[in-house]
Amino acid sequence: MSENYKFDTLSLHAGHIPDKETGSRAVPIYQTTSYVFNSTEEAASLYNMEVGGHLYTRISNPTVAALEQRLAALEGGASALACSSGMAAMHLVVSAICSSGDHIVASSKMYGANINLLQHTMPRFGVNTDFVNPNDPEAIKSAIKPNTKLVFGEVIGNPGLDIMDVPEIAKICNSKNIPLVLDATFNTPYLMQPFKHGANIIVHSLTKWLGGHGIAIGGAIVNGGNFDWGDKDKFPTISGPHFALGGISFWEEFGPSALIAKIRAEGMYNFGPSLSPTNAFHLMQGIETLPLRMKKHIENTHSILDFLVNHEMVEWVKHPDLETHPDHEVAKRILPKGSGSIVAFGIKGGREAGKAFIESVQLASHLANVGDAKTLLIHPGSTTHSHLSSEAMKEGGLTDDMIRLSVGLEDINDIKKDFERGFRAVKKLNK
Amino acid sequence: MIINFKGAKTYLGTGGKSLDINKRTLCFLHGSGQNHLSFIQQARFFAYKGYSVVVPDMPAHGFSDGNPCKSIKENAEWINDLLVELNLKDVVVIGHSQGCLVALELNRILKNSLEALIFVAGSNEIPVNQFLLDLSKENPQKASQMMVTWGHGIDGDMSINKWPGHSHYGEGNNIMCMNKPTALRYDLHSCNDYSDGIDAAKNIKVPALAVLAKNDQMTPLKSGLKFVELIKNCETHTLDCGHFLPSEKPMELNSIINSFLLNLK
Repeated sequence: MSENYKFDTLSLHAGHIPDKETGSRAVPIYQTTSYVFNSTEEAASLYNMEVGGHLYTRISNPTVAALEQRLAALEGGASALACSSGMAAMHLVVSAICSSGDHIVASSKMYGANINLLQHTMPRFGVNTDFVNPNDPEAIKSAIKPNTKLVFGEVIGNPGLDIMDVPEIAKICNSKNIPLVLDATFNTPYLMQPFKHGANIIVHSLTKWLGGHGIAIGGAIVNGGNFDWGDKDKFPTISGPHFALGGISFWEEFGPSALIAKIRAEGMYNFGPSLSPTNAFHLMQGIETLPLRMKKHIENTHSILDFLVNHEMVEWVKHPDLETHPDHEVAKRILPKGSGSIVAFGIKGGREAGKAFIESVQLASHLANVGDAKTLLIHPGSTTHSHLSSEAMKEGGLTDDMIRLSVGLEDINDIKKDFERGFRAVKKLNK
Repeated sequence: MIINFKGAKTYLGTGGKSLDINKRTLCFLHGSGQNHLSFIQQARFFAYKGYSVVVPDMPAHGFSDGNPCKSIKENAEWINDLLVELNLKDVVVIGHSQGCLVALELNRILKNSLEALIFVAGSNEIPVNQFLLDLSKENPQKASQMMVTWGHGIDGDMSINKWPGHSHYGEGNNIMCMNKPTALRYDLHSCNDYSDGIDAAKNIKVPALAVLAKNDQMTPLKSGLKFVELIKNCETHTLDCGHFLPSEKPMELNSIINSFLLNLK
């Protein structure tokens, strides 16, 4: 009997049912590199992509596949592929769709590594990118050229927390027959499912909220199956004959899952950014509690926003759920459950104040990650961007008093007390 | 491959190999609202086994243009004309769901000159409830989603798939969305209106195989078992899955079909 299970149930169950031989309730960790073939015929069938199955863990693995199928179910996608990191996922998508001479339109307000990949690495391979304001759909439309093969952005920008108007941008991409690729790490499918808003491909850093415990690096691509790759001039390596398997057309043979089939046959096979089965297991353990954690992340975020907005030592607070945020209306529309648990705020006293605050808190961890169950902080002015002047930081959308906070799941009053400790240290400094 | 057939662009899946009229041809017929992608894991499998494979997208389905056929008989005549156009003679027809009804009618047209008939999740009748008939007109996308949900067994609910990373629901919905919006409505009405199945089944004189699904909610097992009793010497198997057994139990289905084919003259 088909039930069409809901999100919380799928978070726990999708991708795995206990096997009849062992009855293992948990997804087993298939810590193996390879799989015994029952016959030469079976081996040939797998190599020729005649049927599904596992050949070699660089290409696929049963534990990793359970994670992939869980992600496909949670996002409402046709298929998914997990890999070694979010950046690996990003590179796999770009290299699967684009070839030398192609062009990308991307958000100018993104995670530094995403910008680096598109601005510095891909041009060496003949793929160039124009960066535009993600909040300006007309600018995106104007930047699209005849050789543009994808539009890329982050649903919630890192670190600026800009919100992309996904439905508007999806309309533009759809009218130009260009796939909209979104990094949905900060929202997770719990807060927003981009395919419902017209996006075509999602990339995730699973390391963050989906994994949620800061113990395993991983990434994923989820394919909506809602993009027509049939234009052989525009997407020749997906719809036209591919060098692999005697000239296979992934679009004709795999339809909605063409992109994932191609990435598995080419990207995983040739580049090899595979996810370890053990990390897949750890990430799946995180996903089992994703709905519970995201509810608590949002609840704690809203509480800490009240605290910070009203605190005498705080100069400014930035979060899309605040009415003062320039994208607040878009956030309300596409992220009604909340706009994530990253908060940026400025401490009165500038760069030295930020440093004093960070060095005085005890419970919040000072490190360069987000999306952990534990509260995390970083002060770019004294760490990642300490070599830059105040002016140079401003040009990059940062200020030297800015603290980036990833709100965790602790009792929020303990976090507030911890922050008061930091603010007292700043007060002493200011005296 | 794409051909111009009856004045319309027509897509024929060939499993990644060229169509060779000198070989035995397996002609796969998709079900209501489906297209050649219903047989992702059969087309390449049998093409690489040395058979010539043809999986047509019926008019208005998948990559084919044209207007949808409006009855099972019209579907069967279209397939018959296609086999003539392609000059295919040594043909085994494999139908899934509605494709089984089309196969029954095709066998009547061809007067038992096919090499064999294979029925996957089939019956001699496929009545469709009025709610789904109405919905297929008013909101074909919603109707497709409901069929995808009803049509799969627990593997669909739980996103269990032999193909790593693939989702039955996500893939199934998008396969149905590739068709022209009117395709599903005409398919479902064709199934509902078809009433010659008993005579057609009794008339079968070629080797026949039926593979049924234990948890089939579209063509229930009970109906499938009654159907196979009408056919003289029909080899019958039942798999533990839902209606979409080509994707739910691909290896098991392929193995049964392969054994049957090897025993044909």
